[in-house]
Amino acid sequence: MIGVSAGVDAGPPPTRTPAVDERTGWRDLDLGGLDPDDERPFWVALSLVPGLGPVGFARILRRHGSARAAWASRSLLDGLPRLVPDAPLALRRLRQRGAPAVARRVAANLAQVQGSIVTALDPAYPPALGMADPRPPVLYASGDMAAFAAPAVAIVGTRRATGYGRSVAQELADELARAGVTVVSGLAIGIDGEAHGAAVAAGGRSVGVLPSPLDRIYPPRHRELADRMIAAGGALLSEVAPGTVIGRPDFARRNRIIAGLAQAVVVVEAPDRSGALLTAAAAVQLERELFAVPGPIDSLASRGCNRLIADQLAAVVTSSAGLLTSIGLASRRLPISVATLSDPEARVLYRLLEKPRSVEELLPITGMATAALASALTLLEARGLVTAYGGATFHPTLAARRIGQPR
Amino acid sequence: MLAQTLSASLLGVDGVPVRVEVDVAFGLPSLTIVGLAGSQVQEARERVRSALRNSGFELPARRITVNLAPADLPKDGTAYDVAIAVGILAASGQLPDDTHLAKVALLGELALDGSLRPVIGVMSLVAAAQAAGIVAVVVPAGDETEATCIAGIDVLPATRLGDVVAHLAGVRPLPAATPSAAPAWAPPVGVPDLADVIGQATGRRALEIAVAGRHNLAISGPPGVGKTLLARCAEGLLPPLEDHEASEVSRIYSAAGLLDRRRPLIRQRPFRAPHHTVSTQALVGGGPRVRPGEASLAHRGVLFLDEALHFRADALDALRQPLEAGSVTIARVEGALAMPARFSLLVAFNPCPCGWLGSSSRRCQCDEGQARRYAGRLSGPLRDRLDLWITAEEPRHANLDGAEPSSAVASRVRAAWHRQLARQGVANGELVAGPQAGAVELPALLETLLRRRGVKFHLSPRRLQRTAAVARTIADLAGDEGVRGEHIDEALHYRPEAAA
Repeated sequence: MIGVSAGVDAGPPPTRTPAVDERTGWRDLDLGGLDPDDERPFWVALSLVPGLGPVGFARILRRHGSARAAWASRSLLDGLPRLVPDAPLALRRLRQRGAPAVARRVAANLAQVQGSIVTALDPAYPPALGMADPRPPVLYASGDMAAFAAPAVAIVGTRRATGYGRSVAQELADELARAGVTVVSGLAIGIDGEAHGAAVAAGGRSVGVLPSPLDRIYPPRHRELADRMIAAGGALLSEVAPGTVIGRPDFARRNRIIAGLAQAVVVVEAPDRSGALLTAAAAVQLERELFAVPGPIDSLASRGCNRLIADQLAAVVTSSAGLLTSIGLASRRLPISVATLSDPEARVLYRLLEKPRSVEELLPITGMATAALASALTLLEARGLVTAYGGATFHPTLAARRIGQPR
Repeated sequence: MLAQTLSASLLGVDGVPVRVEVDVAFGLPSLTIVGLAGSQVQEARERVRSALRNSGFELPARRITVNLAPADLPKDGTAYDVAIAVGILAASGQLPDDTHLAKVALLGELALDGSLRPVIGVMSLVAAAQAAGIVAVVVPAGDETEATCIAGIDVLPATRLGDVVAHLAGVRPLPAATPSAAPAWAPPVGVPDLADVIGQATGRRALEIAVAGRHNLAISGPPGVGKTLLARCAEGLLPPLEDHEASEVSRIYSAAGLLDRRRPLIRQRPFRAPHHTVSTQALVGGGPRVRPGEASLAHRGVLFLDEALHFRADALDALRQPLEAGSVTIARVEGALAMPARFSLLVAFNPCPCGWLGSSSRRCQCDEGQARRYAGRLSGPLRDRLDLWITAEEPRHANLDGAEPSSAVASRVRAAWHRQLARQGVANGELVAGPQAGAVELPALLETLLRRRGVKFHLSPRRLQRTAAVARTIADLAGDEGVRGEHIDEALHYRPEAAA
C-alpha cells in the first residue's frame, strides 16, 4: 500500500494519511442499534461541520454512541485532530438553528433536483461503499439507487485525453455496460465523459460522482450528459450538501468515493500528475482491484498508467474482453452485421484497425492519393466507423472494432 | 475674368473628373481655393505662386478665387497644381488661346521652380478623364508609362509648366507618349516552392484546391511544422491576372502609391501578408485620406493572415464585409465610398496558446477554458466563411521524398481556373460569396448525399453550400465535367472540426 506514493507524484496521496487503526475506523463500529430516521438530521448537521471528515465522524460516533447524543454533548469537538479553525463557530451556528431545521433545509434543496439524503445507516447506502473504511457518513444522491446494486467498475483518467484514451474509454465502458456492469466515474471532461457517454449509449447504467453539490453540476458542460445518465437508470452522487457554496471542489475525496463504489478501478489514461492516480491510490488502499491501460511509452498522457503497471500496482488491460474476464464477467459481445464497404474504404479502415494513424501515415501504406484518402476518410466518418477527435489522427470507433477486419 | 481647366481627383481607388474654375476679379490681392479642398490642396497656393513666378509668368495682383467642382466632393492631394496654375494664367489673359482647355486634362504637382512632379493614382485619374470623354491628358514626365496603360486617350508627358503652357497655346505641342508593350507575365521569383515543404500532404492538397477555386483556407497546427511556409507557397501557384483584372489591380496599387512607375501594369496576382499588429484601417483601408488597405491590395489575389488569432478582433471582424461583398465600403460624413477587395483569405494559427492542443507528440500546457477562449477569437461569422480547414501535421511521419514542385501544381490550378471561367465567368469560391450568391448546381442524387452528410456532421446550410463549391473545384482540378460523390466526400474532409 505504501508503495503507491512512490509511484505517484501527484498531491498528497491518501496513503500518507495515518493508517486507520481499529479504534478509529468504521469497520468495527457497531451501528446496529441506531434508528436511521431518528439519526438522519444529526448526521446531516454533523457532516456540515467544516473539516470534520469520515474518520473524525467515526470517532465521534464511537465516543458518544450516536449522533443525537453527540450533538447534545458539550465536548463534541474535543480530541478531534485537524479541524479547521472556524469549526467551533460553525458548530455553534448550526446548533442555534437546530439539527432538524438544518436537515430540513438540505432536504428542501435536494428536492429541487430530485435528490435524497443517504446516510451510512440507510439500507439504500451503496453496499460497496458500506464495506469501505473510512466511508463517507452522509451522501446526496439522485437517480435510481438500484444502479448501486449491480457490480460496478470505475473508469477514470485524465481530462486532457488523447484520441487513444477516448477511444479506449468508450470501448471499455461499452463492453462493461453491455455485460450489465455499472460504470462509475467522475463526470469530468475527457476520459470520464467518454466512459459515461458510451455506457449510456450502450443502454447501461452509469454512476457519476460529483466534486460539487448535486444542484451545481461540475463541469456545467456535462449537465446534459448527467440528464442522460439519470434517464438511462443511472445515478449521481455527491458528498457535498446541496446549497453549499464550495470553493475549490474537493477532487481527492470525490476520487475516494469513486474507488469505494467500484469492485475494480480502470485507469485509462493518466499523465504523471493526474487526479486519476489519486483514485488509483484510493483503490489500492480500499483493496479494490486496480487495472491500467498501457499506452505508448512516448506518450505523456499514458505515463502514469505505464508506471502503475511497471510498479506492479495495477494489472494490465490488454482488451475489453480480457478486462471482463479478469473481474469475473464473460463478454456478452453481440455479433454485428458487417457493413458494406467499398475497397478503398475497407483498405483504410483495415489500416486504422491496426493502429490509429494520421493522413500522413496512411498515405504510404495505403498507396492512395491524398484526394482519394480524404474522401474515403469522410465516408468512414459519416458511417461512424472512424473519428479524429478533433486532431490529425484518425481512430476506428467501437462500431468499426466490432466489424473486425474487413475483407 | 473666368477660366476653366480640367483635372481629376482620387476617391478611394477611383478617379473622378474635376473642373477647376478660376475667377480673377478686382479687389484686394488674394488667392482662395474652395470646393472642400484639404490641406494639401490649400498649400497648392504657395506652390502655384512660386512656380508661376519662376516660370516667367505673373500672378496677377487681383482677387483670385479657385473652385474645384463638384464642390461637395472632398479633395486632397497635389494633382490639381498644374490645372490651377494654368487656370490662373487663362483667367488673367496670359494664355492667348484657350480652346484646348476644354479638351485636355491637366495632372501634376508643381515644384517651386515650375517643374512637374509625379502624383499618385495616375492610372485611375487618367481612366476617369478618358471615361469623361476627354481626348488628351498632360501628366508629369515619369508618369506616362502608368498613364498609357489606359487606352483611348492621348498621354502628353511634360517636365515644366512652361511646356504645358506652350502646348496649350499651340506654340510647341507636346509629343504624345506611345504605350509600351505590356510585359509578359513571368512566374514570381523568390517565393517558396512546394518542393521545399516537408510532408503536409493534406495541406498541399487543400492549398491547391483553395487557390484553384479562390476559396478561403484555414490552417491550424502546432508551432514550427511549416504552416507559414505552406501558406506562402500560394503565391507561386496563383495564375497570372486576366487583362481586365490587371488594370483593376494596378489602379489600386497606383492609388496606394505602391506602383513601380517603370513597370506599372501588374500581371502577378497579389499575395499580401500583413503582420498581426496591423491596424483595422491599414487592413481594410480608410484614414483621413482614404487609401486602400491590405484587403484591397490583395484584390484578385491572396490575403494571408499568419498567427490569425493574434490580429485585433475588430480588424478580423472588418474582413467580413469584403469576404461577403468583394469590396470595402468606407463610410464618411460626405457619403460612402467603395474599394474593390475580392481576395482569397488564408489564415494560419495555433489551436491553443501553447500550440500543442491535439498533438500526439507533446502535451498541451493550456487549461481547457484558455484554449477555448483562444480559438474563440475567430468569430463565428468569420469561421463560416472559411471554406477549407486543415490541421497541419508534425512532419515526423512525413514522406521526405518526391514532393511535387509548385510549377506542376500551378499548371493544374491554371487549367481548373480556365474551366471555371469558361463555365460560369467567375471562380467557384466567388459563386457562393456575397448577397447574390448562386448555388453550385449538383445532380439531385449528390444534393441528397450532401444533405445527408450535413445532418451527420451537423453542418449549416451555408457550410453545405461552400462544401458544394469546394467539391466543384475538386472536380475541376480532376478535369471532370460533373461533380461526383467522391469529390463531395473529399470536400467534407476539409470541414472545420467541432473541436477546432
